[in-house]
Amino acid sequence: MRLSELKVGEKAEVEAVKAVGAVRRRIMDMGLIKGTEFQVIRVAPLGDPVEIAFKGLYLALRKNEADGIFVTTMSDVTAK
Amino acid sequence: MDNSNVIRIALAGNPNCGKTSLFNALTGAHQKVGNFSGVTVEKHEGYLDYKGYRITVVDLPGIYSLTPYSPEEIVTREYLIKEPPDVVVNVLEGPNLERNLLLTTQLMELEIDFLVALNMMDEVEEKGIVIEIKQLQQLLGCHIIPTSAKKNTGLDALLDHIIRVAQKKITIRKNKLFFRPELELSVDKITALLLHQKELKNYNPRWLAIKLLENDRAVYHEVQQYPVWLKIELALQEALREAEQLHDSEPEILITEDRHAFIRGAMKECVRQTSAIKATATDYIDMVVLNRVLGLPIFLLVVWAIFQLTFTLGSPIMDGLQLLFDTMASTVEPLLPNETLRSIIIDGIIAGVGGVLVFLPNIVLLFIGLSFLEASGYMARAAFVIDRVMHRFGLHGKSFIPMITGFGCSIPAIMATRTLKSRTDRLVTIMIIPFMSCGAKLPVYVLLTAAFFPPDVAANVMFGIYLLGVIVGLWTALILKKTVMKSDSEPFVMELPPYRWPTFSSVFFQAKIKALMYLKKAGTLILGAVLIIWAVSNYPHNHVLDAQFAAETARIEQSGASDTQRQALTHALDLRIKSEQLEYSIAGRIGKVLEPVIKPLGFDWKIGIALVTGLAAKEVVVSTLGTIYSIGQSNDTDVELKSILRNDPSFSQATALSLMVFVLLYIPCVAAIGVMKKEVGHWKPVVLYSIYSLSVAWILSFIVYRIALLML
Ligand SMILES: Nc1nc2c(ncn2[C@@H]2O[C@H](COP(=O)(O)OP(=O)(O)OP(=O)(O)O)[C@@H](O)[C@H]2O)c(=O)[nH]1
Ligand SMILES: [Mg+2]
Repeated sequence: MRLSELKVGEKAEVEAVKAVGAVRRRIMDMGLIKGTEFQVIRVAPLGDPVEIAFKGLYLALRKNEADGIFVTTMSDVTAK
Repeated sequence: MDNSNVIRIALAGNPNCGKTSLFNALTGAHQKVGNFSGVTVEKHEGYLDYKGYRITVVDLPGIYSLTPYSPEEIVTREYLIKEPPDVVVNVLEGPNLERNLLLTTQLMELEIDFLVALNMMDEVEEKGIVIEIKQLQQLLGCHIIPTSAKKNTGLDALLDHIIRVAQKKITIRKNKLFFRPELELSVDKITALLLHQKELKNYNPRWLAIKLLENDRAVYHEVQQYPVWLKIELALQEALREAEQLHDSEPEILITEDRHAFIRGAMKECVRQTSAIKATATDYIDMVVLNRVLGLPIFLLVVWAIFQLTFTLGSPIMDGLQLLFDTMASTVEPLLPNETLRSIIIDGIIAGVGGVLVFLPNIVLLFIGLSFLEASGYMARAAFVIDRVMHRFGLHGKSFIPMITGFGCSIPAIMATRTLKSRTDRLVTIMIIPFMSCGAKLPVYVLLTAAFFPPDVAANVMFGIYLLGVIVGLWTALILKKTVMKSDSEPFVMELPPYRWPTFSSVFFQAKIKALMYLKKAGTLILGAVLIIWAVSNYPHNHVLDAQFAAETARIEQSGASDTQRQALTHALDLRIKSEQLEYSIAGRIGKVLEPVIKPLGFDWKIGIALVTGLAAKEVVVSTLGTIYSIGQSNDTDVELKSILRNDPSFSQATALSLMVFVLLYIPCVAAIGVMKKEVGHWKPVVLYSIYSLSVAWILSFIVYRIALLML
């Protein structure tokens, strides 16, 4: 599942960052790497970008970037 | 001071961790601080004397990692690698330690002398976070000094440590962070190869090896020049294959993951949350401010409120200042027997420079409003809310921050585009910034709206002008993106910092700096311009007209008309002769040449002159009008331009609107052009841009003028 498909309020864990090049670098530098747990906080008034929270910080990213981040929702994590 | 007592330190850390605040606290400077990422885009130097040492402090743009991303981040990396200072102070945002430590792990690899300033300790305590500093020191192998740049705590301890590190009185253990074994093998292999290449001796080989595995382009280019590259390339390919086979991943990702794993461990060991985590003020504010329904209206309201504040609160003070200048003019008039001198002082200096100075309160209010946006943390939210719109026009939500800065002044705004990574996005943003109406254009709007519109609509007219600028800017961006500057749009990954109260002193000093700059400009550039304008509007003098004036006055005197009639006639004559003198002058002649081009916009030659001189600085438009109109009018001491314009038959609401639109859009001032050239790199785009903006200004003024003539 992709980050961009999550609903507001959902919690999930990063599985892999499949974006390429500089975008991936930036996302990973922010601390969004395999295993990072986060929550989707809100979507901007016009539908894009989305805001997520993890490790005590709030990050905004466009759906386009969120598309490159693969996640497992928390309910699936506990099921495993 | 002898050389051994000079210490050079640099502040390096993530964006928004408080480097500039710390820099200001240490050196007593007033560099700009703001609550969003990317405030500082250039390195700044300052110094302080402490316990017999001269400590030079270098403030750097923030970076998330040593693999840079945008132009301003490259500045920092280059500085740290190419000209390392005696001591690097790694500033960390205490409440956000986990993310901040990533850079620290990379500094550890550089094996340089560095210290950690654990900043924002006040917020750390407030949030009930406890950081075991001793333990963290052990893990990182460097000294950690808790500080608060806001409360000015820990500064002396920091300085003491800096001195001790610089004097090598404390040895730094230089801990290493070890990656998973297979990566370590690759690192070792590449390090060994690098050691053979003499030319690379200046670099730390382990660091180079890690950077190569991390796909760092700059390091690639450096190493590729040497023969050893052939062997290294093989080693890198092998590492890549291994990562793929073992982890279905890449060395670059694995390295970052290992760093984060190390940090995770350190966090577990050293950081505790003592109180329960509560929803913060930021959470509550954002629920409203970023609300799906309210977000956009609130955004518009905030921007509108700034202009309303600028105008409404500014007006009474402005009127007070105007009164002061009027009184000044009427007081000095009788004291100046020499007519030329009187004209220079009253028509030139008081009308021209005073005419600009009365807008000081508006300018200061505008900057206070903007700095509130910057310091509170709303700026990043605004970018978040508006990104979709910006994206539609091919721009980036982050382009929005320089655009807002552009409402203050184009020059810092153009420089602020350095936070954009993609070069085309940067160029496009630079090209639209001048359409964001700057503070220097404000006097023109305040003058014209106050003269021609009732007070209750004046601020709205002004808001409309600003809005028009934004719209033209966005369409320009779209056109550029669709034609000459095609590119994929830049990714949007941006942190939303917690809201912070702007500190009174930073807002105050920013306002003070802006006010002083404005005064300085009025006293130098504008004064100079005014004197030139005065001269070219007074000379050459037509003596035939003088004689005509004398003859006709005599005739009026001798005619049998009553006193009041005679007075009215003389007054009319005076006006006519003065305006003919003006047309005879150099300014008049230049203006007359321009007139045919600008006539369709409702401008006469006087406005033409003002527009030309406005290229020096936009406030000069007002000074020029002030000087020309006050030379051309009969009552010497009425220097209030507002009422002069209102009474001028060639000026109407339509002219005022058309002029505002023209000033909004036409060629930016010389200083802005210069900075544009510097940031863009060559003249061609700047020249093309100037032609473009002039054409847009002409066309839109024409349309506005014609519509206004029909409707008003
Ligand atoms: N509470 C608190 N706030 C701080 C402290 N130091 C800085 N701030 C605030 O943090 C924000 C960022 O400060 P800056 O000094 O501009 O940060 P910077 O690291 O220079 O940021 P960039 O130039 O963007 O890299 C501002 O709102 C400051 O007022 C501190 O010690 N305590
Ligand atoms: Mg800064």
